[in-house]
Amino acid sequence: MQRAGSRPGLRRDTILFATCMALSVAALLLPGSATDAITTSIRETALKPLLWLQLRAEEGRTSRARFSQTEAQRDTAALRAQSMPVLENENARLRALLELKSRQPSGFLAAEVLRQALPTDGRTLLLSAGLRDGARPYQPVITPEGLLGVVSRSGPATSVANTWAHPEFRVSAVTDSGGVLGIVAPSASADPNLTVLEFRGVAYRDTVPDGTLVVTAGLGGVFPRGIAIGRVNGVRREELGWERVYRLIPMVNPGVVSHVLLLTASAAEMPPATGDSVR
Amino acid sequence: MSPRRGAWPLWLVLAVLILLHFYLRPRLYAGRGAPDFLLLALLILAFRSKPGWAAVAGFLVGLVEDVLTPARFGAGMFANTLVAYVAAWGRAVFFADNLLVNFGLFAVGTWLRNLLIYLVSGVGVGAFLASVTLWGTLQALTTALAGTLVILAIRHRVDFRLEE
Repeated sequence: MQRAGSRPGLRRDTILFATCMALSVAALLLPGSATDAITTSIRETALKPLLWLQLRAEEGRTSRARFSQTEAQRDTAALRAQSMPVLENENARLRALLELKSRQPSGFLAAEVLRQALPTDGRTLLLSAGLRDGARPYQPVITPEGLLGVVSRSGPATSVANTWAHPEFRVSAVTDSGGVLGIVAPSASADPNLTVLEFRGVAYRDTVPDGTLVVTAGLGGVFPRGIAIGRVNGVRREELGWERVYRLIPMVNPGVVSHVLLLTASAAEMPPATGDSVR
Repeated sequence: MSPRRGAWPLWLVLAVLILLHFYLRPRLYAGRGAPDFLLLALLILAFRSKPGWAAVAGFLVGLVEDVLTPARFGAGMFANTLVAYVAAWGRAVFFADNLLVNFGLFAVGTWLRNLLIYLVSGVGVGAFLASVTLWGTLQALTTALAGTLVILAIRHRVDFRLEE
């Protein structure tokens, strides 16, 4: 074998390096639709055994802690469920009086987050549920604390979700009381350790106090109304005297989430979310 | 880089590192500061290979990372190809059998990879600074520590010198 520094070896090294770099740059320039097909096919074939291994490891790590958490949630739910039949009957009677149609049942799908080592992990998350399980693009991704993001693409066994930290993430939002409407989008904070959200498009005449909970508005047909997004934490900036942009501290940290729920019914079909944080 | 007689312990080490990356890492702690065993395997392979083949290995590892973390397709390939190529040259320049030098090469390689990924991914200034000053450095140190332990454990069985 020739030495690393010899002339033919050097030429070959340079050619290989230049080829790899050219392919990398070409990949960077590819449109999203083309990369989706490539990434999904590789993920569902060559990398399938490795992802299976990672899924088993994730389940092993979280199962014990999740069992205790699930027990506590089950007990709380059991207590609340005792009053449910009465409420359901009352609700049905009132709906009948108002001649309203019955609600569509809401569905959800549980998935593990398969964490990766790259520093950009957190803007997009790889989820263990795919088309076979019922995952579809544009399904909201939530946790018990609130909104995490939305499914951007799905393969047969895995999906990719854009979290609220992704630059393209947007959701129509409203304050908890329903008084102020706006759009929530991510914003890089001046403090590098604190990436936050912005509550944009709030009319200048409206004032939103600190600590106000902002939830999804249900407009647009993707997110159902009432999922907690974050809490207002001061005015970030004012635009030309007609709009205020508020800083929003998100309810969910994408960096620590290990287990998520995908809402499988569309916003149009779903009733408003209920519960303590998922309102 | 082609396998030769007596090279199987190296491939075994690489296989174990890949298993650690996909099983042990998520099992213990998969936060942003956790060691990147896949990059570690790439760096060890790059130290043992000629720069051209190291670049090819870097490209393939980058492809795997881009497929699993699709924030910006191509960023991982670009960064890993460059880092593996530089690492292969670095190995020829530095005194390779010193553990401290190995630690430094692993740390610089990981930090540089993270820096390149952030640069190419086009994230905001805040996230970029956080990576450079905090998470990137932390991951570089943990990866270097894991790499040094690996070298310490296997250096009598695996020859890490460049083939003549």
